[in-house]
Amino acid sequence: MKPKTFQPPRWAERLIGRIAASHLQEEILGDLFELFQKRNRRFGLFAAQLFYMLDIVLLIHPRLWRRAPEKVKPSLYPANSSTPNPIAMLNNYIKVAFRKLNRHKSYTVINTVSLTMGIACAVLIFSLVKYHLSFEDFHTGKDRIFRIYSELHGEKIAYNTGVPNPMGQAFRSEYAVAETVGRIAFLPKRVVSLPSNNRFEEDIAFADPEFFSIFNFPLIEGSASHALQGQNAALITEQLARKYFGHSDAVGQTLRIDDSLMLQVTGVLADLPDNTDFRSQIFVPFGNLQRHSPWMVEKDWWMSVNKEMQCFVRLKPGISAASVNTTVLPAISNTHYDKEASKYFRFKLQPLADVHFNMELRGKTDKKNLYTFAWIGFFLVLTACVNFVNLATAQAVARSREIGVRKALGSQRGALFWQFMTETAVIATAALVVAVALAYLSVPVVNQLFEINLSINPFNDTYLLAFLGSLLVVVVFCSGAYPGLILARFQPVVALKGKLTQSSPHGFSLRKGLVVGQFAISQLLIIGTLVMAHQLRYSQQANLGFEKNAVVIVPVPDNQTSKISALKSELNRLSGIENVTFFDTPPASDAIGRSNIQFDTRPEHEQFMISIKAVDNQYVPMFKIPLLAGRNLNPSDTIREYLLNETAIKALGLKTMDDAIGKAATINGRRGTVVGVVKDFHFRSLRTAIEPLCMTTRGEAYGSCGLKINLSDMSSTIARLQTEWAKIYPSSIFTYRFMDEDVERLYKLDNVLLRLIQAFAAVAIFVGCLGLYGLVSFMATQKAKEIGVRKVLGAKTSDVLWLFGKEFLQLLLIAFLLASPLGWWFTNNWLRDFAYHIEPGPGIFVLAIMITMFVAFFTVGFRSIRASLANPIKTLRSE
Amino acid sequence: MKGTQLGEFEEVVLLTVAMLHDNAYSVGVLEVLDEHLGRPVSLGVVHRTLQRLEEKKLVVSRFGEASAERGGRSKRLFTVTYEGELALREARRIRNQLWAGISETAFGH
Repeated sequence: MKPKTFQPPRWAERLIGRIAASHLQEEILGDLFELFQKRNRRFGLFAAQLFYMLDIVLLIHPRLWRRAPEKVKPSLYPANSSTPNPIAMLNNYIKVAFRKLNRHKSYTVINTVSLTMGIACAVLIFSLVKYHLSFEDFHTGKDRIFRIYSELHGEKIAYNTGVPNPMGQAFRSEYAVAETVGRIAFLPKRVVSLPSNNRFEEDIAFADPEFFSIFNFPLIEGSASHALQGQNAALITEQLARKYFGHSDAVGQTLRIDDSLMLQVTGVLADLPDNTDFRSQIFVPFGNLQRHSPWMVEKDWWMSVNKEMQCFVRLKPGISAASVNTTVLPAISNTHYDKEASKYFRFKLQPLADVHFNMELRGKTDKKNLYTFAWIGFFLVLTACVNFVNLATAQAVARSREIGVRKALGSQRGALFWQFMTETAVIATAALVVAVALAYLSVPVVNQLFEINLSINPFNDTYLLAFLGSLLVVVVFCSGAYPGLILARFQPVVALKGKLTQSSPHGFSLRKGLVVGQFAISQLLIIGTLVMAHQLRYSQQANLGFEKNAVVIVPVPDNQTSKISALKSELNRLSGIENVTFFDTPPASDAIGRSNIQFDTRPEHEQFMISIKAVDNQYVPMFKIPLLAGRNLNPSDTIREYLLNETAIKALGLKTMDDAIGKAATINGRRGTVVGVVKDFHFRSLRTAIEPLCMTTRGEAYGSCGLKINLSDMSSTIARLQTEWAKIYPSSIFTYRFMDEDVERLYKLDNVLLRLIQAFAAVAIFVGCLGLYGLVSFMATQKAKEIGVRKVLGAKTSDVLWLFGKEFLQLLLIAFLLASPLGWWFTNNWLRDFAYHIEPGPGIFVLAIMITMFVAFFTVGFRSIRASLANPIKTLRSE
Repeated sequence: MKGTQLGEFEEVVLLTVAMLHDNAYSVGVLEVLDEHLGRPVSLGVVHRTLQRLEEKKLVVSRFGEASAERGGRSKRLFTVTYEGELALREARRIRNQLWAGISETAFGH
C-alpha cells in the first residue's frame, strides 16, 4: 500500500492549523487522522474523505478557536484569586489615586482647573439652551396650538406676527377646524392708576376669554369661567396684585388704564412662568380695545396688519396644520379680499414651539445662536479633555517604573486600566463639583446679560442632573481611556528598566495632533470674536445717515393735536432745548409700518411696499438728514405732502429725483404731493438693506418727541422738561431715553453674543495655555539632560529656547491652516445676515495668529526659560 | 454550583470515559457512543463535551504517547476525577429515586 493514498486532504489540515486554538491542534489533527484511516479501511477512500470534511465542518464552533483558559494552566496560586474583582479593588484604587494626585500637584491642578473651566461653560450653555428650548412647553396640547401670522407678498415677502382684526372672528365662525380661537392685542407701556393714586407703567393685553383655555395660565383667585366675561373685568398676576394692593384682597379692586378704561379686578393669575414669552401681567377683555385704542380695531378692517394684534388657535385633534395652511387660510384670503389684495395678504399657522425662535416673526432667540453655543460648549469640554490626554500620556512615561513594579507583582492590564480611570474619575468629579458651583455663581451675570431668568440647581432639575452624569462619564472616558490603555500596555521589563521614552512615534504624533486641535479651536474662537467685534463697531459707528448725538426722546402718551402743540410751544421756550420734533418712530427703529403706493397717474399700485414715517416739519433738520431735491415738509397735522428717499425714487423707476417733485402719490390710501427727496439713511438696523421710505405729516400718529438739547446743562434741562411735560400729561409717567442708546439697542443681542463669545474664547485660550504649560514643563524635565549636554557643549540660552519654540511654532502654523478657512466660512455665514457689513480682511486672520502665537510663546517661554537657565552641572549630576 | 449540573449527553460521555478507563480519548469515546447510542455522533460534539467536562473539573486530561496510527500525533487521555465520580453517582441516585417512586401501574397502557 502506498502511504500517499492514506493521507487526508492537505488543505484541510492546514485549515485546522489556521483556525484551531494551539492547544487543541495536536489532539484534533490526531483524531481526524485516526478516524480517516479507520474509515478508509472500512468504507473506502472516497467515503473517508467525505466524512473527514463533514467532521471538519461540524467541528466549527467558538470552542475551536477559543484560547486555553488560564486556570487550566498550572498556577502557584489558588485558582479563584487570579482575576481581581474591580469593585473590591475600588477602595485601593481610590487610595492610590489620591496619593498620586497629591504627589503630582501641578499636574492635578492643571487638569482640574482646565476641566473645571470646560465643564462650567458646558453646564452654563446646557442650562441656557435648555431654558430656551423649554419655552411654552407647559401648555396642554401644545402641539395643536398655533399662531396665525400674515405673509405680505409684495416684491419681497414680509412677515408679520399680527393678523387683521376680523381674522379671529372669521376663523372661528366660518370654519370648523379650530377647537378654540383667541384674539389678543398687546399694548406696551400703558399707565395704570390705582385708587390710591399710585401710577405704574405696565404692558396690557386685551384678550378673548378663550385665550385662557388655549394656554395654561391658571387662576388662583376668581372663577375661570367668568374670568374675562364682563365689560370691565381685569385679570392681574399674583405678583402685580402684591405690588398694587399688598396683602389686601386684589379681587374687586379698581384699576384705571390710561384715561379711558375703569376696570375691576375679577381674578388673580398665578405668576407667569419664566419660560413664556407672554409677559403682560394685566389681561383685559378684548372688547375694551374699542374704547381704549379705537385705531387698532378701526371698522373691522381687513386691510391693515398690526404686529400686536395676534390670534392664537387650538386646532381640533386630527386636523393638521398643513391642511389648514393649504385650504382654510387661503380660502379666508380669497373670500375677504378682492382678487388683487388676496394675492398680497396670505396667512399661515405658526406652531407654538416656533414662536420663541422664529426671528422673522419677532422671536426672542435665534436657534442658530443656540447651536453655536452648543458647539462652543462641546469644543471647550473637548479642549479640556485634550489637555488631560496630553498631560496624562506625557506623564505615563514618568510613571513607567510604577507600572513596571505593579505588573511584576501580578497586576493585570484591566486592573491597571481601571486604576488609571479611577484617578481620572477623581479629578473629573472634583472638577464637576467646582464647575457646577462656578456656573451657579455666574448665573446672575448671564441673566443680566440676556435679561432672562435662568436658574441652575442640579438637585431639583433632573435634566441637568442627567446631563451632569453623562458629561462626567463622557469626560472620564474621553480623557482617561487612551492614557489608561497606554499605561496598561507597557511591557513590564522595558518599563522597569526605564527604557521607555516619549518618542514612541505613535503616541507622540497623537499628542501633536491634539495640540493642533486645541490651537485650532482657540484660533477659531479668536477669529470669530474679532470679526464680530469689528462688525459691531462698524454698525455702531457707521454713518447711519442721520445725527444721533444729544437727542433725547420722550414718549407722548396721547396724541391729541391740541396737547401736542401745547407741549411743542412750551418746550420751544425752554432754554436748554435747541429744537423739538414730533414723530411716530425715531430714525433708526425696527418698528415701522409699510404700505402700498400708487404714484402719479399710474393706474396700478406699485409692486413694492413703502415704509412710512409720520414726522413733523422739524424732523429732517433736527436729525440732519440731507435733502437732495425739492424742499422739506410744510407744517401740518394731516397728510398733505410726502418726502421720499433715494431708494424709493429708484424703485419707482424715475430717472432723476426732480421727476418726483410735485407729483401726486397715494400711500396707504391717503393722497398727497411729493415735495422733496432725502438722502438714504439707515432707518432700520444695518442688518436690513435700505428700503423705499416716505415721510409725511400725520399728527394722529405721533407717539414720541425728539429734543435736541444742550449737553452743557443737561440735567436741569431734563428736570424742567419733566415739569412741563407733567403739566400737559398729568396722568402719565415721564420717561426719556437718548437717541444713541436707542440705536445701540438694535444691536443689543449682538453685543451680548460678542461678550459671551469673548468670554468663551478667553476660556478656550486659558485652558489651551494650561495644557501647553503642562506639556512644556514635562518636556523640560524630560529634556533636562539634553539641555545640560547642549549647554556644556556651548549652546546659548536662545538656542535652547528655540529647541522648545520650533516645535510649537510648527504645530501652531498647522492649526492656523485648519482654523482660518473654517473661521472664514463661519464668520461669512454670520455676516451674511447684515445687509451692510465689513469684509473680513487678512488683517483679522493675521491678528488671530499673532494673538495665539503671543500667548503660546508666553506660556512656553516662561517654562522653557527656566529650563534653559538651569545649571547644567545640577541636571547632569542627578541620577 | 453550576458545574455539578450534568447534561444528558455529558453524563453519557462521562460514563464512557469511566468505562474506557485507561484508554479514554476522543476517538475511542466516539466509537463507543456510535455503538451504544445507535446514532452517528460527530467528532466536534465529543470534543466540545469533553472540553466542557474538563472545565467543570469532572475529568482531567493528559497527553498520551504519539502513535503512527495518528500520523505521529499523541492522544489526549481523559480520567474521571473525584468530582466526576460524585456527579455520576448523584445522577444515578436521582434516577434511582425517581424509578423507585414509579408505581407498577404507571405504565398501564
